[in-house]
Amino acid sequence: MGSTLCQNRLIEERKQWRKDHPFGFWAKPQKNAQGVLDMKIWECAIPGKKDTIWEGGQFKLQITFPDEYPTKPPKCKFVPPLFHPNVYPSGTVCLSILNEEEAWKPAITLKQILLGVQDLLNDPNPESPAQAEAYNLFKKDRAEYERRIKRIVRENAAP
Amino acid sequence: MDPLPLPTSLAEVEALIRALYQPNPPETISRIQEVLQRLQRSPEGWQLAQSLIAHPEDNIRFYAALTLIVKLNRDSAGLDEDDAKLLLENIITWTIQSLSDGAAPFVTKKLCSALITYFVLFSRLWPACVRHFIYCLDIGRGVPVENLDDALATEILVGNLDSQKLKVAIWFVTSLVEEVGKTDMNSIKYADVHQGLSKNGQDVTCLLARGFAPPVDEIGLKTQEETLACYQAWILYAQRASSNTDLLVTPLRQLVDPAMQCFTNEHLFQATAELFSDVLQNYSGFFTKANYDALASFFESQWAAAHYQQILHGNHREDGISFGLLMLAYGDAQVQALLEGTDDRSQRFLESLSGLLAADGYLVGDDTIFVPALEFWSTFIETMIDCTFSEDGQSPIWKPYAEQHLKSVVTNSWRKIQWPPAETFAEWDSSERTAFNDARKDVADMLQSVFTLEGLDLISFFANLFLQALASQSWAELEATAFCLGALSDCISEDSKYDPELSKVFASPFFELLGQGQAVIPLRLRQTGLSLIERYNEYFERHAEYLPNALNLLFAAVGDSVLGGPSARSISTLCSSCRSTLTGEAGTFIRHYQDIRGRQVLDTLAEEKIVLAVASIIQSITDENEKLQKFGELYAIFKKDFEFAVQLRSQPELMDLSNPNVLRGLDPPNPSTVPPVEDISLHIALRSMRCIASMSKGMQDVKEYPVDLENDTQAARTSEKLAALQADIVNLIIGVQQVFSTTGEIVEIICNILRAGFSETEPGPFVFPAEVITNYFVQQPFETPRLGTLLSTACSFIGSLYRGPKAIIPNQLVRLVPWVIALLQNLSEPEEDTEISQNGICLIDKVLSKYPEVLFQVQPQQMLEFFFMFTLKVLNGKEPLPKHAAADFWSDFITLKPPSPELSAQVSSAMTHLGPLLAQTLINNIGGNAARSELDRLSEPLKKLVTQHVQAQAWLEGALTRTDDDGNGGGFPSAAAERVSMQERAAFLKKVVGLRGARQTNQVVREFWLLCRGSSFAYVS
Repeated sequence: MGSTLCQNRLIEERKQWRKDHPFGFWAKPQKNAQGVLDMKIWECAIPGKKDTIWEGGQFKLQITFPDEYPTKPPKCKFVPPLFHPNVYPSGTVCLSILNEEEAWKPAITLKQILLGVQDLLNDPNPESPAQAEAYNLFKKDRAEYERRIKRIVRENAAP
Repeated sequence: MDPLPLPTSLAEVEALIRALYQPNPPETISRIQEVLQRLQRSPEGWQLAQSLIAHPEDNIRFYAALTLIVKLNRDSAGLDEDDAKLLLENIITWTIQSLSDGAAPFVTKKLCSALITYFVLFSRLWPACVRHFIYCLDIGRGVPVENLDDALATEILVGNLDSQKLKVAIWFVTSLVEEVGKTDMNSIKYADVHQGLSKNGQDVTCLLARGFAPPVDEIGLKTQEETLACYQAWILYAQRASSNTDLLVTPLRQLVDPAMQCFTNEHLFQATAELFSDVLQNYSGFFTKANYDALASFFESQWAAAHYQQILHGNHREDGISFGLLMLAYGDAQVQALLEGTDDRSQRFLESLSGLLAADGYLVGDDTIFVPALEFWSTFIETMIDCTFSEDGQSPIWKPYAEQHLKSVVTNSWRKIQWPPAETFAEWDSSERTAFNDARKDVADMLQSVFTLEGLDLISFFANLFLQALASQSWAELEATAFCLGALSDCISEDSKYDPELSKVFASPFFELLGQGQAVIPLRLRQTGLSLIERYNEYFERHAEYLPNALNLLFAAVGDSVLGGPSARSISTLCSSCRSTLTGEAGTFIRHYQDIRGRQVLDTLAEEKIVLAVASIIQSITDENEKLQKFGELYAIFKKDFEFAVQLRSQPELMDLSNPNVLRGLDPPNPSTVPPVEDISLHIALRSMRCIASMSKGMQDVKEYPVDLENDTQAARTSEKLAALQADIVNLIIGVQQVFSTTGEIVEIICNILRAGFSETEPGPFVFPAEVITNYFVQQPFETPRLGTLLSTACSFIGSLYRGPKAIIPNQLVRLVPWVIALLQNLSEPEEDTEISQNGICLIDKVLSKYPEVLFQVQPQQMLEFFFMFTLKVLNGKEPLPKHAAADFWSDFITLKPPSPELSAQVSSAMTHLGPLLAQTLINNIGGNAARSELDRLSEPLKKLVTQHVQAQAWLEGALTRTDDDGNGGGFPSAAAERVSMQERAAFLKKVVGLRGARQTNQVVREFWLLCRGSSFAYVS
């Protein structure tokens, strides 16, 4: 029953996304070996926001939806892992709207999630660091941090 | 400003209302509003509304109606049943009056709103509101609800209404469903209102049926349009109020046919198409089989055929695409039936839908139907896949029919994604360009799905198309074909079954043409052609005969400003995956690289990719001498770069902007002013180090070898020549770091170089002997920039040691441990640099887990003591990352199983001293000072403590009873001391101890933490 709810919601999310999605973003369910869609795992791409040091970059994100979705939030993971204060070394994104105990609500849409992650890129939350390297540079050596981001943006240039 | 005084006469009120609707400064308006609102809310508000409701001025009348709504919402509780009934009659009378004495429509509509406000508040007094309102309209004034018993049937009443009254009745029911729909359906407060509304379903249907009747005048036509919107609102409401299906849906369905009649009226077509599209998309179950059949015959009418042609050949921007969207919505709703229907009608309809992919004009500015049509076809194909794979081996009878449609879909899409001529593209704005590219991606996606069904046939189709387009030199077609083939690479590249088809493409003369450059082949086609090579790198692994040619093409494009980046990436992908077939080309590629370098300054990222590519070929050379020689050649280039950087730094007079070696140091490449010599020198060094880091990545072996944990170290298998090379590289690294000692980026790159060797099991230029690496680390002072990153690299080093021969490990750890602790001692406080704290603790934890004796033997002994206290301080702090590391360290320490009795005694004596302190720290955190997200991590050492140590209960009890205000940071937080009694704390401890480390402890900890923080900290969920 829970799984049907999850499936229906994801079908609806896909419909909505196709109808209307923000500029430069990309999101689609993964295909399995036979080519059948697996609605539980989505491949997405998030563009760096205009007028920020992230502009021009495009970052691949994998979203995994649990069976209990939308009661429970999906998990977002940058593949490969991204240098960012709020991204764990594994690539998993640490963001309040993706945390069941914090700001997750079943009404939050895929679009809101992806826009939330895009916002997070240029606006890290120093209260919940997830990786030491980016967090430390962000706090202690902003110039070096920004140089590093610019390089990452070039390495992940949007096509 | 003082508030205005309350008006004393009606005339004053009227003046105020007039002023309100006149252009006035905002502050004046808000003062007027304020005083009028005070008046509305006063007990005289009812009186005011009644006095002004028949006023000849529309604005004043409107304000009176508004006042009624305000009074109803605020003061309806003060009305008794008789008052309320009378009020209803009055409002209805006023509404009908407003119609007969020519008030503006906005006045009448506002009065309708007042009636709806009334219904929401008094639905039980006005159950048959629609029928009653129509009855009153017929009579011409408001009458008691009870009179309805003697009234004629609603059909007859509705039939009596003149066009003006009909219009108002439709306004009323539209607004009724919209306003009631805004209230919460799940709330008990509104349950009766929704139930009451649904009971009006049959009356609404009667009314709307009249609204749909062929109009006799202008008003009637307008009413018909309003009837459509009203009908749409009621259907969508019926969908949401799913519990009242029979009351609402059954009557509303009677109107589908009359609504369909509106299609052919050109004024109403737009609104009708929107209604049907909307319901098909969002509530396809509303329509019955008969309705769908009726729609299907409608699509076959002459009228529909003409509209279809207009979508194909007309102007989308001016005429819209509503008809096309309607067809697609129908297709979506009926996709399964259409897929499985082999009848003529279904086939013809699907044919027309694939035809929508072939409308005139370019994507997406001119042709706006393609993208939605492609969406439909993607759904169709997905449905087809689902049905095909769920059939048990039997090929379904509909399959050949469906495949026929797929052919048109693929061909039409292929045609549509062809690039326009350059001059047309130049006229597009950036959003049109992005949308065009997005549409191409959608097509790529669709093709991948088609491949699932068609496999080899699809590849053959495009391979043949490729040859045809090439023969006729139709570049746009050729580009689109290459793009489609590229899109399919993910599906097929690993399977050699498709190679004969692919060889048609890769053996074709196209790639020779590609080598002849821009003059022959347009840029876009070159781009797509080159990326086709990269996408099929696995094919080239199997067909080495085409590889050198392909790579030569790519190298030729490296210098190009547009193609350079992608070409370099293709080179690195191809060389890396085809390395073993390319070993003979290593020398040629080094020369290629040198040539390009000599000609121009390459983009840094492109250069690094090429170096990585060449290094990966060198890695694959089997003859050791040959390998080292080629490696040396490449390495020498960067060593020279570095030497030049040092020279330039000490002799600024060498600065000469015509020297290509100097130009390598410009970052960005074309600065507005020439940067200082030191910067240029630094950038040359950084570039050379980055290239060496790329070499280290390229030199990583792709094969896996068995590891012998007991025997030879890699160093023992390292030849003299290799050892000398390694020593040279290490000297270079140390040298660079000395010259540019303040640059963190250098340290970061060195760490990358070192890490590249850690994963290797076979000897190689970057697989340095363990002692050499240890030497490098322990010589790094506290002042080294990016020390935290170095420590994290040292952690990885220890991990790599653990995967190799055991004999050499302790000697490295014995030197690394005091180095790390000494660095931690240099921190003024643990939170000064969280990266150092975290990685330092992780490293010691790593040592502890396998070689605890090394840790306990550290000299001087105070170092160990310092470290323990350091981790406790971290635990008391606020920085999450080091705190996690410290919690992990303590979890491991508590559960340590010392290998010798001697060490066992040491550990347990340490624990006697540290146990109470740890308990205080944990309790301080759990007692509210930790962040919520840290609780799970902190529960671990607590659970371990409870299961491993007999004294744990006493330690925790001690910690719970003392407060943390003595300045040592441990113990129960004084802030929570009053809130949480000793009994509650004891109960918590009892639970924790009773659970004996079970998982539920986490929940208990969570609840206690919430209790200590006070309820205000709970997240509202």
